[in-house]
Amino acid sequence: MTFTPEQARPDIPILNRVLPNGRNLVYLDNAATTQKPQQVINAISNFYETMNSNVHRAVHTLAAEATEAYEGARDKIAEWFGIGDGHLIFTAGTTEAINLAAYAWGRHNLVAGDVVVLTEMEHHSDIVPWQMLAQEREIEIRWVPLQVESSSLDMEVFAASMEGAKLVGCIHTSNVLGVRNPVEEVIRLAHSAGARVILDAAQAAPHDRLNIAELGADMVAVSAHKMCGPTGIGALMVNAETFAEMHPFIGGGDMVLEVFLDHSTYQEGVHRFEAGTPKIAEAIGWGAAIDWLAQWDIAEIHSHALGLARHTAAGLREIKGMRVFGEHGDGDGAVVSFIHDKLHSEDMAHMLDAHGIAVRTGHHCAQPLLRKLGLTSTNRVSFYLYNTMAEADFFLATVRDLVARFT
Amino acid sequence: MMYEAGSWPIQLQQIIDEFSEVDDSMERIEMLFEYSQKIDELPMSEWCDDTKVHGCQSEAHVLPMQNDDGTFHLRGASDAKLVQGLIAITAIALEGLAPSEVTIFSSDYASEMGLMNALTPSRANGFRNMFRKVVLAAQEMGG
Repeated sequence: MTFTPEQARPDIPILNRVLPNGRNLVYLDNAATTQKPQQVINAISNFYETMNSNVHRAVHTLAAEATEAYEGARDKIAEWFGIGDGHLIFTAGTTEAINLAAYAWGRHNLVAGDVVVLTEMEHHSDIVPWQMLAQEREIEIRWVPLQVESSSLDMEVFAASMEGAKLVGCIHTSNVLGVRNPVEEVIRLAHSAGARVILDAAQAAPHDRLNIAELGADMVAVSAHKMCGPTGIGALMVNAETFAEMHPFIGGGDMVLEVFLDHSTYQEGVHRFEAGTPKIAEAIGWGAAIDWLAQWDIAEIHSHALGLARHTAAGLREIKGMRVFGEHGDGDGAVVSFIHDKLHSEDMAHMLDAHGIAVRTGHHCAQPLLRKLGLTSTNRVSFYLYNTMAEADFFLATVRDLVARFT
Repeated sequence: MMYEAGSWPIQLQQIIDEFSEVDDSMERIEMLFEYSQKIDELPMSEWCDDTKVHGCQSEAHVLPMQNDDGTFHLRGASDAKLVQGLIAITAIALEGLAPSEVTIFSSDYASEMGLMNALTPSRANGFRNMFRKVVLAAQEMGG
């Protein structure tokens, strides 16, 4: 069916929330986390109410049902993202996924003198794990600059940075600028140089099916909670070639075949990277989120959210003293970062909150990017399928009023 | 005597009463904006590592000092008006006390005014750090 936000809103109970100050919630912080449909909440409750059990090991009925639901969710999510013959390893989220890549792949494939190429647009989660490894291994990190005027990566420097590169880490869609990077070109450059690529697709996954096999990325990290799934779960999706180069990172139960006093042998497949009791209810909840989103065409959802972002960016640009970031071109994320020259971002966020409007404030875990913009903090609104034009207009009217009153 | 709920200095009690009478969050924000102007403002040129309050999303700076008669005086500023308002109220609360009195001053007034609820966790941490900095300075003054 053709998408409209009114089709999604009745499923999201929190959107009816009245805040303690009597205001109705206007939730515009979707790039941080999205709200959950009743179907996802029910799937998690249903798991605990009817089939709660540990997976894989026991032979009783509940264990079989839980295992089927858990592994079924994995298959569904893997198919959604089109990973082909790749593997989907459940993690706690994008951050843990990139750390897993750094430990399970990086520690076994990068040595002193090797080069990792990252961009100034990266989220801290795609910076710090590689810095930690670089300090341990004397690995060189090369930085691809952000071009402030065009909100884009300097692709000439990108190409020139490839000599000797073993790994390229790139954020698919910026959580601050909303910019979708030319990831196809990044992958082409990296592969031409013989480097592996890891994409931070946390912001892309809610708006794009990705089709990872077609894209050709070696590793892709995503989080469930940014696409109406539960918190506490995400995935590292890895193609077969890269998967073969990875070694177990977290040791413990469920990831082993046999344990002896002097050594252990490991499971084949993704389970060797999922030690301990996994995130069973969370995986099932994520699967339910995929089912819920699958009612609609993701391209239509994205087009709707991007339309709100464009409308909002244009409205903000009309306000004197307002600096608005990002170009909001086709395929870009539905986020709008902004800052007023006379109203501190924290003051702005508190005053918007007093009107019931939830926005993000701060460095958005991208301090190198903010520093490049000459800032320490911005406000950010971000839209998803259940947001409406009326909410965007209410936000704009409130900002206009606040700027008029307090500057 | 400890300065705490029920025994605040009169100038602070008046501010607490003023905030208690207001339910509307926007009105309280406007009041904090007004208080932000009632401070012996520390100009940006005097901001340094020693004056910086850590743990704030915004830049916040305080300079505890003594009046000619040895009583406590607080200068401060922030690039966020709401933070500066909170520093201003702290300065008003502590103005004219002996440094020894500042060291037994409770930081609970912010919660009593309903301001801690309105603060983000990072700002609440920032407030506690600011208050600790002030108390430490008062101790160093011999309080």
